[in-house]
Amino acid sequence: MSTYFAGLLADIGILTLGALSVYIILSTGQLSLGNAGFMGIGAYSASWLTVEAGVPMTLAVVIAAAVSGVVGVIVGFPALRLKGIYLAMATLGFGEMVRSFFLNFGPTGGAAGYHGMQIISVGYIWAWTGGLVVLVMVLERSRLWLGLRAVHDDETAAELIGLDAVALKVGAFGFGAAMAGISGALFAHHHLYIEPSNFGFQHSIELVLAVILGGSTIAPGSIFGAGLLILLPEYLRFLADWRLAAFGTLLIVILIVRRQGILDRQLYRLIGFGRAS
Amino acid sequence: MLLQQLINGLTLGAVYTLIALSFSLVMGILGILNIAIAELFMLAGFIGITALMAGLPFPLALAAGIAGATVASVVIKFVAYDPVRSSPVITPLLTTLGCSIIIQNVVVNYWGSNPLQLPFEFLGERLRYGPISIGSMQILVMATSVASVAVLGFMIQRTRIGRGLRAAAENRDVARLLGVSAERLTIVAFALSGVLAGIAGVLIGMHYAAITPYVGVETGLKAIAVMVVGGVTRIWGALLAGPLIGIIEVMTIAHGGSQIRDLVVYGLMILILLIRPQGLLGGRSSDTGQRV
Amino acid sequence: MTQSILKGIAVGALALAAVAAAAPSAMAQDGKQIRIGAIVPSSGPFAEWGRTNTVTLKMLEDKVNAAGGVNGAKLEIVIYDDATKPAQAANSLRKLAGDDNVLAVAGPLTSSACEVTFPVANQMEIVAMSQASSKPGVAANNRPWAFRNTVDEAILAEESVPYLVDTFDVKDVAVIYDAKDAVSTAIATKIMPGILKEHGVEVLNDGDFLSFNTGELDVSAQVTKIISLDPDAVVIGADYSEAITVIREMRRQGFVKPVIGGTPLISSAILHAAPDIPIIAPATFYASMDEPRAKEFVAELQPLLKETSGLPESIEPSMYDANIYENVSMFIEAVEKAGVTGNPDDLAADRTKIRDYITNLKGFEGLGGPISFNKDGDAEKAFFIVRGEGEKWTTVVHGCSSQGGDC
Repeated sequence: MSTYFAGLLADIGILTLGALSVYIILSTGQLSLGNAGFMGIGAYSASWLTVEAGVPMTLAVVIAAAVSGVVGVIVGFPALRLKGIYLAMATLGFGEMVRSFFLNFGPTGGAAGYHGMQIISVGYIWAWTGGLVVLVMVLERSRLWLGLRAVHDDETAAELIGLDAVALKVGAFGFGAAMAGISGALFAHHHLYIEPSNFGFQHSIELVLAVILGGSTIAPGSIFGAGLLILLPEYLRFLADWRLAAFGTLLIVILIVRRQGILDRQLYRLIGFGRAS
Repeated sequence: MLLQQLINGLTLGAVYTLIALSFSLVMGILGILNIAIAELFMLAGFIGITALMAGLPFPLALAAGIAGATVASVVIKFVAYDPVRSSPVITPLLTTLGCSIIIQNVVVNYWGSNPLQLPFEFLGERLRYGPISIGSMQILVMATSVASVAVLGFMIQRTRIGRGLRAAAENRDVARLLGVSAERLTIVAFALSGVLAGIAGVLIGMHYAAITPYVGVETGLKAIAVMVVGGVTRIWGALLAGPLIGIIEVMTIAHGGSQIRDLVVYGLMILILLIRPQGLLGGRSSDTGQRV
Repeated sequence: MTQSILKGIAVGALALAAVAAAAPSAMAQDGKQIRIGAIVPSSGPFAEWGRTNTVTLKMLEDKVNAAGGVNGAKLEIVIYDDATKPAQAANSLRKLAGDDNVLAVAGPLTSSACEVTFPVANQMEIVAMSQASSKPGVAANNRPWAFRNTVDEAILAEESVPYLVDTFDVKDVAVIYDAKDAVSTAIATKIMPGILKEHGVEVLNDGDFLSFNTGELDVSAQVTKIISLDPDAVVIGADYSEAITVIREMRRQGFVKPVIGGTPLISSAILHAAPDIPIIAPATFYASMDEPRAKEFVAELQPLLKETSGLPESIEPSMYDANIYENVSMFIEAVEKAGVTGNPDDLAADRTKIRDYITNLKGFEGLGGPISFNKDGDAEKAFFIVRGEGEKWTTVVHGCSSQGGDC
């Protein structure tokens, strides 16, 4: 495997986790446009821990996930009041506030960025990515996830059958935020340099894009979406100056042709995997 | 200085108002966030400046900018909205994102990534009243914004198509029952949205006398905050919220907080969403958007 | 259940494997080629710089090959666009070093991209030399393989500030900067205020530096605030396209006072912002400069830029075109003089030879004068404090960034 491909693979693994964070929150019917903010929190806390406090990498990732997760739960409560595009806009505002915070926060460098992290291997990144994808897939087959889907489909009905919609929605926000935090922690230790603009609105939207392109009904879809977003710009290099326009066009075409994303349960079964129902 | 800052805030607010209205026409009526609007006003700005540099008078340059943005907006409707109209709100959000990437790339390839600057003479005269001074362009920006909102308000309140739009904004099913053609309403909403973005773009181009292909995101996101604060389905809301946000931003800068003004603006937006999701001038509080 | 999850992972793995197999593969190796890499931002906010960089490199490639190549071998410059995104720049370097087997890399352009790409260069042991990054310490953090053909902003400001203070009799200044941009923030909030104070100049808004964001249209409130402080000059930390917004707003509000900033201000576009506001900035090259080698370079490049599509009418060779031209020229000289074989088996040794040659380089004939590198990996070269007024640049101070001052 060439170093170049390893680099792309690392980016895909990191983006997959970011996409999964959106996927988890989305599974309760909540759209978050601020997940890059959670990523930023994870990236900065993990980096600070490894660089300043000398905490080992894995422990730093876990703590970063916890910090992001707690912030996610805190954000999740007010988010209960909002739905659909309104929630999307509120989370967008949250993401911009996080970016703005790190821009002004001296201890982690502000606009000058933060560095000093030790590099991690692609294998390490994919150990996290693989493990977490499996975790989400296992969860998807649990009663808990049925609860999430029920809240997604009809919140009132879900509450009638005794599900705690508040706990499920807030929990999903916390879990999603923790996932984004891990993604951020790995991002920081792969690129070895972070700055606030890494975690702005454009990155939040990239995470959503990865989920929707790859398949928003099934967890492995995130891997597909992330792969597409990282690799497409590389493959379109031959178009030179028109590279980004071609990327935009392909994006629209894919969204129109496969609204449910590239990978859905049907395709998943068709290739011979998953359970026949 | 305070008065001068108020004028700065009002001018900025006027620009926000126009773009916020452009967002809210599509958002209020069709329930989708058309991200590409941020690039529509950028496109109109480039067209407007190019027309002025070619020696066209202001009204023609304005018309050219409006035409460009409107055509692009209607094209977006057919390309990025129609094929995905029945999907959840995220999909149109992302298809319009695709459109904005394309528009940005086209503008960079056609005009370049350097700022397109109006010649120096276009900077305009300044009228002085004691300690404050106001540019003729600033007056034009504010007047045009108020006039556009008034014309739009009249259209929405008094004309048949306006009643249809209003009905659709309140409740799409009622509109259908009233026999308003959904297809026509959609085209009108996108076209009007394009017109407003076009006006905003040309005014921005003329007032600031320079534009780059990358102005969209920063101003567009603020305009979304203005739309939310004013109330998504209320035309007059934006007329209140635009200057409000503009003045808040300017006053934060004037009082030593230029670094934290994004925190202030987005914080206010979130606060409004939480305590008054229908916006300052919004009507029903139950109207908090449909499910994803 | 476990089985189907395993299958799920297999789907992912299969997909990735398919992608891997289809990944653009390395070009066929030909022993008679000398291959140099370049990373430029041909799309995104600095597209113009990336695109003129590309034209410059093609010109150099044609010129060298027309003159018989490098040591008789054909020169090939492999250029990748990083879209002004740090991650793409880092992956471009991985591709250039690992797949394309280039001997050295010119680029990337922005400091943010360098921060992410230079560590990769160190890891893969290949020289990477930025044509533009001037954020303090970026190369120094990534020795020994990282170089920048630019001068640290702090050294430049040591010369530009005294000129400003003496010429315009400046007693106090106000500071405004682009808060999203690291270089601009460093110049405006750290470097300039420090040096200004050394020269007895008061920074009127010390502790409350005015900021705006990249891409922001309206800076009227900031400028009104500056006017209320009534400074003798304004420090602008921003790249030229953002600075244009500030200068135009100053002019609009009728505030005609000199402006000072770092190298990111240098561009022909900024001269048209307000011709009556003097702009003081450091440069190592500008298109109308009066040095024979530079004139020759401009005369050669200008027509090529004009005929390239996607570039505006008024395009001129930029400082970064000059720098990247020098970067690759230095690599070529290293190949010719350090015994680089260009043989695929000697790749690692060749790369080390180039690194050592560049590290010990003395008096390379650059476009503006001799170039060498300090221990931080930054260039020691001639620079000029230029004054932009009436739509043209004029050199007002000749400077040299080397310790001995032998430029």
